[in-house]
Amino acid sequence: MRTDKVHMADSGKLLSQLADRISYLIDIKGNSEWSNVGDLLGRVQGLRQSLFEIKEADLFEEIDRIEDRVSFLEDRVAEKLGPAEIVNIVRSPQRFTLMDILENVYDSYTELGGEGDCNIDPAIVVARATISRRVKNKLYSHQVMVIGHEKGRGEEYRNGGCARPWGNDKALRYMRVAETEGIPIHFYIFTPGSYPIEDYPGAAQQIARNLYVMAKLKVPMVSFISEGGSGGAEAIGVSGLRLMGSRSYYSVISPEGAAAIEGKIREGEKVPRELVKHCAAQLKITAEDNLKLGTVDRIIEEPPLGARRDDFPFFHRLRYEMLRATDEVVLKTKNFRAFRAYALKRREEEGKEVPEDFDLFIGWSLTDLEIERLLEFRLKKYMELGKGYFLENRNILTEGIRKTKIFASKTYYDLRYGLLRPHHRNVQKVIEEVSSEGSVFLRKVTEPVRAAYDFVFPQPERPGKIVRSEGPERKSIFAEEWESYVSPLANEDCTVTCPNASKYGCLDLWVPDLYGEFCGVCPNCGHHFPLEYQWYLENLFDKNSVHEFNDHIASCNPLGFQGYNVRLKKDIKRTGRNSSMITFDAEVWGLRLVVAMLFSNFRGGTVGTAEGEKFVRACDVAGTTRRPLLAYIHSTGGIRIHEGTLGVVQMPKCTLAVREYNDNGGLYIVVYDNNSYAGPVASFLGCSLYQFGMRSSRIGFAGPRVIRETTGQDVPPDYHSAKNALRRGHIQGIWDRREFKKNLHDALMTLGGPNLYYK
Amino acid sequence: MGKERVLIANRGEIALRIIQACKDLGLDYVVLYTKEDEFSLHVRNAQQEENGFKKAYRVANYKDPNEVFSVADEAECTAIHPGYGFFSENYGFARRAAMRNRPLTFIGPKWEVIRDLGSKINTKRLAKDLNVPVIPGSDGSIYNELEAEEVAEELFFLQKEQGIQHPSILVKASAGGGGMGIEEVSHLDAFRRTYRRIQNYAKRQFGDEGVLIEQCLRDYQHLEVQLLCSSYGEVVHFGTRNCTIQSAGRQKRVEVAPGFDPAVCEYPFDARAVLDRIVKYSVRLAKHAGYDNIGTWEWIVSRDGSPYLMEVNTRIQVENEISACISRLNGSNEPPNLIRDQIRVALGDRLGFTQKDISFEGTSIEMRIVAEDTKRGFAPWCGTITRFDYPDEPWARLYSHVPRDTPYKIPTEYDPNFALAIIWGQDTEQAKERARQFQNGTIIEGKGASGESIITNLEYLYDRIDDVLQF
Repeated sequence: MRTDKVHMADSGKLLSQLADRISYLIDIKGNSEWSNVGDLLGRVQGLRQSLFEIKEADLFEEIDRIEDRVSFLEDRVAEKLGPAEIVNIVRSPQRFTLMDILENVYDSYTELGGEGDCNIDPAIVVARATISRRVKNKLYSHQVMVIGHEKGRGEEYRNGGCARPWGNDKALRYMRVAETEGIPIHFYIFTPGSYPIEDYPGAAQQIARNLYVMAKLKVPMVSFISEGGSGGAEAIGVSGLRLMGSRSYYSVISPEGAAAIEGKIREGEKVPRELVKHCAAQLKITAEDNLKLGTVDRIIEEPPLGARRDDFPFFHRLRYEMLRATDEVVLKTKNFRAFRAYALKRREEEGKEVPEDFDLFIGWSLTDLEIERLLEFRLKKYMELGKGYFLENRNILTEGIRKTKIFASKTYYDLRYGLLRPHHRNVQKVIEEVSSEGSVFLRKVTEPVRAAYDFVFPQPERPGKIVRSEGPERKSIFAEEWESYVSPLANEDCTVTCPNASKYGCLDLWVPDLYGEFCGVCPNCGHHFPLEYQWYLENLFDKNSVHEFNDHIASCNPLGFQGYNVRLKKDIKRTGRNSSMITFDAEVWGLRLVVAMLFSNFRGGTVGTAEGEKFVRACDVAGTTRRPLLAYIHSTGGIRIHEGTLGVVQMPKCTLAVREYNDNGGLYIVVYDNNSYAGPVASFLGCSLYQFGMRSSRIGFAGPRVIRETTGQDVPPDYHSAKNALRRGHIQGIWDRREFKKNLHDALMTLGGPNLYYK
Repeated sequence: MGKERVLIANRGEIALRIIQACKDLGLDYVVLYTKEDEFSLHVRNAQQEENGFKKAYRVANYKDPNEVFSVADEAECTAIHPGYGFFSENYGFARRAAMRNRPLTFIGPKWEVIRDLGSKINTKRLAKDLNVPVIPGSDGSIYNELEAEEVAEELFFLQKEQGIQHPSILVKASAGGGGMGIEEVSHLDAFRRTYRRIQNYAKRQFGDEGVLIEQCLRDYQHLEVQLLCSSYGEVVHFGTRNCTIQSAGRQKRVEVAPGFDPAVCEYPFDARAVLDRIVKYSVRLAKHAGYDNIGTWEWIVSRDGSPYLMEVNTRIQVENEISACISRLNGSNEPPNLIRDQIRVALGDRLGFTQKDISFEGTSIEMRIVAEDTKRGFAPWCGTITRFDYPDEPWARLYSHVPRDTPYKIPTEYDPNFALAIIWGQDTEQAKERARQFQNGTIIEGKGASGESIITNLEYLYDRIDDVLQF
């Protein structure tokens, strides 16, 4: 046997294959010291150099020995494959890329808007592709839109699969094309994260925009994750089914990033490898973990050491799974039970060998009714994400009361604003029309009489009172202002220097004045000093109008992240709150609204499952009561890394809730104060149609340090300032804290959809 | 507690008068000055009288509270007198003085009082509650355009009803003051544009876009009532003043006490009754507000004799002395010194007299001598005063920070007001005569940068003496 092979095979080719396998092992282990693989690689390289000097028999003997050794090592690696190794597998240059999928999974494809580096963003590849299946020896093909990241084979212009903002914009454009044409979309996620630059359309904003559109995209969508790096993955990730390769990872942050934060590593210092390994394990980034957490729906089996460029059986399986998944998404929307039964039956077959034939052909185009159902399923699926990973003091009685309350208020508001209001409006319209007709007629009769009367008894004309459109009257702000809440910061007899003093010549500010009357704003230059969130609770809303709800929902440690429990408890004790989000009903000059507030004292205002759930419920409350919804962001540091991908999926979840609320004619306003970064800005905040920044706020996707580390460029200190955000078109206006209430009231009165209770 | 030490956070003649008052009361004092005021008389006097501690501190800016308070701490002061202008009506400053870890007695009303009465809107509201008449118009800041137009329409209508020939209204920035941010609108159609302009101006200038709308009164006299109150609830008044003669920029130039003199002039209304009314109203308001220091109630009296409360000045005023000049305590010949009383009351004294002890005698005229070109829009003149002389008469007093013996360069940073002449006469005729006599004897010489001679308003004042108290 061997001699046959020996003669047939090209020894050079064998050697280079061996070299690839060994360097793959080195990639996986992250170093060449492990089991002397470095030396092994050296031996192979040596053989390649002296190929023609060694006797053929000896050469092959040596190759055999090495191959045995490599196979043995591969088995050993596969036996104990930890999360850190999986990350290395995914990052290895030998791993399959989107181009390989396009070549091997699809029958034919046409790349749209790109040819190598001639592309608005080569990190995103879009293609119209044909995927086909055989049913009883007949070939059926489907048109799909394939959108994904292309990591390339080390080409610099691919940027390692980090999509720039305009790359995500390109993806969005082609999603719309698919919607127009009514073809399903297959997403392939191969990204370590989004490229964190703020140039228009802006990293965070574009991701948010994508999420917002995908929430209601009228075509079936299926995604496959190989490397799911947080926000970058979400930008093209909303789908009816999420598949994941068994040797892939999906994470809130790269293990190195998590380690840098956890270990409080200063910039420029090296992160210890052990810490990275530890974090990779804690973050629960593997396919099994994600399936368990419900953040992905299905795992696609890869070879033990992960699929590489030439793993044709894997591509075969992937084609089958993509077809099946798309079928399933489509079938869910169909009316007939038989189809559903079929879909369920298919599900049971999971894990079996890939069949050659399909039993049935299923068309992927949907009727209007089916599209409606598709969107409904998508919303429902995302609303379920993360459920059960926060604490909720469930007590049958209170839960029952809560449910009854929700039901009662829903009925009441539906009746009052959904049914009676339009009726009332119609009647009013008719009355208006009739009366104006009548008055024209009457005038003709009375005009001569009145003219004569006026001539005889001249009278100064008294102005008619202007009847303002309904809505509460605004009282003067003066009386309240003098007895308002004063920040505890004001209880100190000292002065602070305004940071702009050298620029604008501001005088030092006396602290009781600054944090009292001046609302923490330098009266000379308008610099906003940070104020605690309680100040807003007391000063922004009418007295005694703030009523918190859902305060029983608490953050917990769903991943069992080591050492996190202690810190969480500390924050709960320190702030007296269960999560970093407070949701409440409030009034602004008599105008009722629902507010979701993220504040900085609790885990830096990060968003996890509890916060996401509270936000979604606030959206629901605002929706049923027809009230405007305000998201006031005191500060947010992004998605809570300790909750892993459970945190990440809050991005689409909350965005879908917002989209639903907005589409029902509400008004969603976001106001950023202090620092707002990362995930939330790139999703449910950034997607808002109305976003405002406080004068000294900072808004962006990633902080200056992360930008420096990932892109290598230094950003100017005011890169994330509200002014620059306005200049780039991210926010709609800059608000002054001293006029917050007035601006908010004006905004509530003038903006928003037709379904608000006061409209 | 040891001897009180008063920090005088002001300049010019008021600083001199406060120094004098402190000396009369036997208090220590410390003055502030800036580089520009180095050669001002108040600095020189203070430096000459230094005995044991430093009495004059140089600061970069009179308006920086941080610097003022650090001087107060350094000089171990126990009280602070703001004079007029600068911090005198700044309740934030008064509050800081009272609430800091090393508190200082603020010589002026309580900060709460300054805050409540310093807001024109609040004063107006309070006045309405107490049935004190105010100028017709909005009684609060307006932020809403529709509301503003409604008020404007109403005001035009009311004027039309009263038969006013050319009705007009004033649009004011509610946070403004001193004549800034006020525009007149004489036609309703032009209102919206003016309203928006004032709103924007107010927002830019004062950070509050609230706007007040009032009827524009054309033919009126500007009267004032001088009150002195103590923290024990005592309230007395020192009669009225007439401050109608003002420069183009609404700066007072000639003031007379009392407010009207029916013996000399004819009025289309019962002048004595009007004066009584405004005094009564002022006292009522002061008692209600818990006023506890010196203060002035400013009134407008229209041709039909109806008074309207304009605002309250919660501080000592430039023209306080003329009210003192016509007042006699318990029949003594010496007029009271209001600044002295103000300091005394602020430091916790009782008044020591009641309204019954105060009688009035004669007429007093104050003239503000300013280096300005009255024929060219009262433009200030800059240069050096080389000679300054005036007659020394028992019935005249002159307050000035300009030294009589050395040349003095008028600093361009501050008010060009450089002297106050106060004349007293047995009756109005005599006071007017003496005022003219005093002016004739006053000599001011000076040179500008290019050698031109000084321009003052002496001639203007001389001409206007005839107009005083005439409606």
